[in-house]
Amino acid sequence: MSPDPDGRLCRPPLEPDDDPALRARLAASHVAIIGCGGLGSNAAAMLLRSGVGELTLIDFDVVEESNLNRQLYFADQIGRPKTEALAETLLRITPDARLHLVQHCVTEHDIVELVAPADVVIEAVDRADVKAMIANTLLREHPEIPLIGASGLAGLDSANAVVTERLVDSYYLVGDLVSDVHLGHSLFASRVMVAAAHEAHAAIRILLGYPEP
Amino acid sequence: MNVDVALFAYLADYQPDGLGGRAPRSFALEADATIASVIESLGLPDEPRIVFVNGKHAEEPDVLHEGDRLAIFPPVAGG
Repeated sequence: MSPDPDGRLCRPPLEPDDDPALRARLAASHVAIIGCGGLGSNAAAMLLRSGVGELTLIDFDVVEESNLNRQLYFADQIGRPKTEALAETLLRITPDARLHLVQHCVTEHDIVELVAPADVVIEAVDRADVKAMIANTLLREHPEIPLIGASGLAGLDSANAVVTERLVDSYYLVGDLVSDVHLGHSLFASRVMVAAAHEAHAAIRILLGYPEP
Repeated sequence: MNVDVALFAYLADYQPDGLGGRAPRSFALEADATIASVIESLGLPDEPRIVFVNGKHAEEPDVLHEGDRLAIFPPVAGG
């Protein structure tokens, strides 16, 4: 006897009980992502797949072979600007996504202008001093825009140690806060993507009005 | 005056009681003490940091006031 006599297990699952108003809200939303590496490239894809309609992608760098172990790029994109390569992939996922590409290394003098149109900003850069500059500049000059930062995602500690917390009013933080890549912790796709998913999901929750604890 | 000081992540090791953890400790400070003076007295390393007072972003030259809650967070690399 067949274990699935009615063929139920072979049917596609039911569509989720979706809320058109919720989807419309996400489609009208704009998220700026500073840094399109392991965090930013993967968070961008998750945001689009979740229905966010508009992204600003900011990165000065080009795709390198060493990026392919955790970042959303492909071997045939090596040497291309990350913003362009990522946009190409994102448009294969969501052809009508509204993407703004900024191939630039942000500074405290131009970051506010670059992210100002966004509803939420995701910090997804590598260097600790740049993370601090982004937070210090945006929280001082543009505190009304929610900022999601990341700190502590390297190494092989438990994925469960990566959490999202609301540090202060408009500053959300993802990571275990301590696993510094400069302390000899390697970056693994699995843990980096956990952090990227936390950042993307925090953005979605903020856009939909859910508070983080 | 008294100010509560919370040190996050690896900075928790610089709490004078040596107990670590992010729980705030009360510090007795001179009137008109600044955030920078607290950082100096704790001997915090010269590494990137983000400073908050009473849940709002603050600058290191800012003067502290009785009952303020100072929190210092140091981001670490990786992205």
